[in-house]
Amino acid sequence: MTLFFQQLVNGIALGSVYALVALGLTLVYGVLKVPNFAHGALYTAGAYVAYVVLTGLGYPYVVAVVAAMAVVALLGAAMEWVVFRPLEGKSPVHAMIAALGVLFFLEGAADVIWGPDFRQVPTPLDGVVSVAGVNITEQRVLVVIAAIATMSGLYWLLKRTLVGMSIEAMAQDREGALLVGIDTRRVALITFAISGVLAAVAGSLIAPLVLVFPTMGAVIVLKAFVIVILGGMGSVPGAIVGGYLLALAETMAGTYVAFAFSELIAFALLVLVLVVKPTGLFAKGV
Amino acid sequence: MRSSVILRAPRLPAVAFLVGFSVWFVGCGEGGSASGADGVEVVPVGYIGPLSGGAAYYGRNVLRGIQMAADEIAEAGGFEVDGRRVRFEIVTADDRYLPYETATAARRLLQQRRPSVIFVPHAGGIRAVQEMNLNEPQFLLAAYSSEPSVLEAGNPLTVMLPPRFDGYQEPFVDAMMERFGPRLGLLPTTTAYGRAWTEHVTAEWRRQGGTVGGDHGVDYNTTTDFTGAVSRALADRPDVLFVGGPSQPTALVIRAAREQGFTGGFLVMDQAKFEEMLAIVPMAALEGSIGVYPQADYPTEGAPYFTERYYARFGADFQPPTSEVAITYQAVHLFAQAMQLAGTTTDPEAIRAAVGEAARVIPDELRIFEMSGVTGQGHLARAVWAAHILDGVFVPVEIPLPSGTVIQ
Repeated sequence: MTLFFQQLVNGIALGSVYALVALGLTLVYGVLKVPNFAHGALYTAGAYVAYVVLTGLGYPYVVAVVAAMAVVALLGAAMEWVVFRPLEGKSPVHAMIAALGVLFFLEGAADVIWGPDFRQVPTPLDGVVSVAGVNITEQRVLVVIAAIATMSGLYWLLKRTLVGMSIEAMAQDREGALLVGIDTRRVALITFAISGVLAAVAGSLIAPLVLVFPTMGAVIVLKAFVIVILGGMGSVPGAIVGGYLLALAETMAGTYVAFAFSELIAFALLVLVLVVKPTGLFAKGV
Repeated sequence: MRSSVILRAPRLPAVAFLVGFSVWFVGCGEGGSASGADGVEVVPVGYIGPLSGGAAYYGRNVLRGIQMAADEIAEAGGFEVDGRRVRFEIVTADDRYLPYETATAARRLLQQRRPSVIFVPHAGGIRAVQEMNLNEPQFLLAAYSSEPSVLEAGNPLTVMLPPRFDGYQEPFVDAMMERFGPRLGLLPTTTAYGRAWTEHVTAEWRRQGGTVGGDHGVDYNTTTDFTGAVSRALADRPDVLFVGGPSQPTALVIRAAREQGFTGGFLVMDQAKFEEMLAIVPMAALEGSIGVYPQADYPTEGAPYFTERYYARFGADFQPPTSEVAITYQAVHLFAQAMQLAGTTTDPEAIRAAVGEAARVIPDELRIFEMSGVTGQGHLARAVWAAHILDGVFVPVEIPLPSGTVIQ
């Protein structure tokens, strides 16, 4: 039973990161209908910014996380402005190819700047919390708390502010939003910036637990796509529930079946959802 | 008028491409060796391996050793072959660790520069170009892989450089079972190489009378968080945990195991290197582990000279030299020696025939490893040392050659 609770805790920590990455992806998809493959590179960028601010410039961890959020928000906005805005009104295939191009460009840039080496981000929280035989590192506790705080902040933004409501309006009906006077270009820019913030929070929070290297975002963005499809393309609650669901499914399947199959289970889950409810668990009726 | 604009637009790039292509095409004819500006003949040596993507770090380590040796030779004014001064130029191709890319890149490299020696640092890529190296134009395949299957092909123009991985299990299991106990947990990477290692270590552990828990291996390259797999493996209460994959993720697995209270020892696959893991975990976390001996302090007479030259070239703060660097560095000097003995830089068969002798006569300052020749199957034979970490010190453990090995 200890093992079960241990894995529950492990799964929730991992799910927090999955959910944060998937949220940024689903927001952008909702507003622009672009599957932004380059989102993984934003997550990587967040980790690298945290690395530079912490290790290179010597500022405390909190500053590193905030700096990562600011820099990657700008990067996300720049991506929309430079790459996706000129493709407005063109076939979605163009945007998809452009997104892949941006992904390879940013991975290549990281490789040129930092090399292919694995970097490590030190954390001030290197202790272990132990309750009734269940262990969790302090950094993971921080990941869970910060993820929940960020998600609450996002919820507040979407439901209680004008900007957030514009985003939701645009996700529901782009032309309608335009008709009621919403500046859709500005909203698209802001959405990309927010997705950058979410990716940066995930990247900088998990950086001390993993290794930072140019292609670190490639795997997680694939998982994020599974989550977004699982939860419903463009659905915010879907991304959150999907993130935790996938992480717990992986961890539990690994524990009670075999870890070699945990990846397989993620995709089996995807196929199952697509068969039973092709629009995803939380898709809004269209 | 719009259509004419569309038609005109691609013209300039097209012309540039044609010019570029013809320059390249004319350049193709040369092949083989050419004389450099300094009057020293330049002989191309190939490297086909990962230079981008997930395995780029590994590939560049391998290349660093090759390049370092070639640079040393060039700085010394080259070496003499049949009355001519010769130096190496390293020509590279990126295969992103994909065997089919290795074969394509080999064809291109042979067409353009016709190197007589090509280094390939992964078993899949090596197998993809074995056979190809026997047809015209032939080349000597410098195989950087510890997979014995590289030898099983019986390819007469292959030299396998690192120690075979199937030599490690018996001494490793013996030492670990005696120190920690009879229960082994499995948490290796799930690549083809990882699986082959797992099979060997499982069989050997059982043969020596121990019990083996379930296989909780995960793909080290695609796993974000190892805690789940570690929790599961530790639930079997193992005395020894078998881990390994690339060094850095291996260190994360070890860190996660210590965080969850594991006090036993780690039996570490030869792919992971202690000196690289020490950048991520402290020595105390590795206490009791057994694995490949750190290259910088390798227990041979020649190793310190190499380490000194390495840090002199790259700076004292540079990452420590791993065996990838040292073995390929050694190999380049070895092939230079073999070319000297064979009196040719272009005949792969003659060079291959001289490698055994070269291993015995190479000057002491270039002899990092105690080499005794080449086995009948084409494996570079040498004394191999592993390290057991006891009280924070690397204690050498000798890895014997397979019984019945014939050295030529």
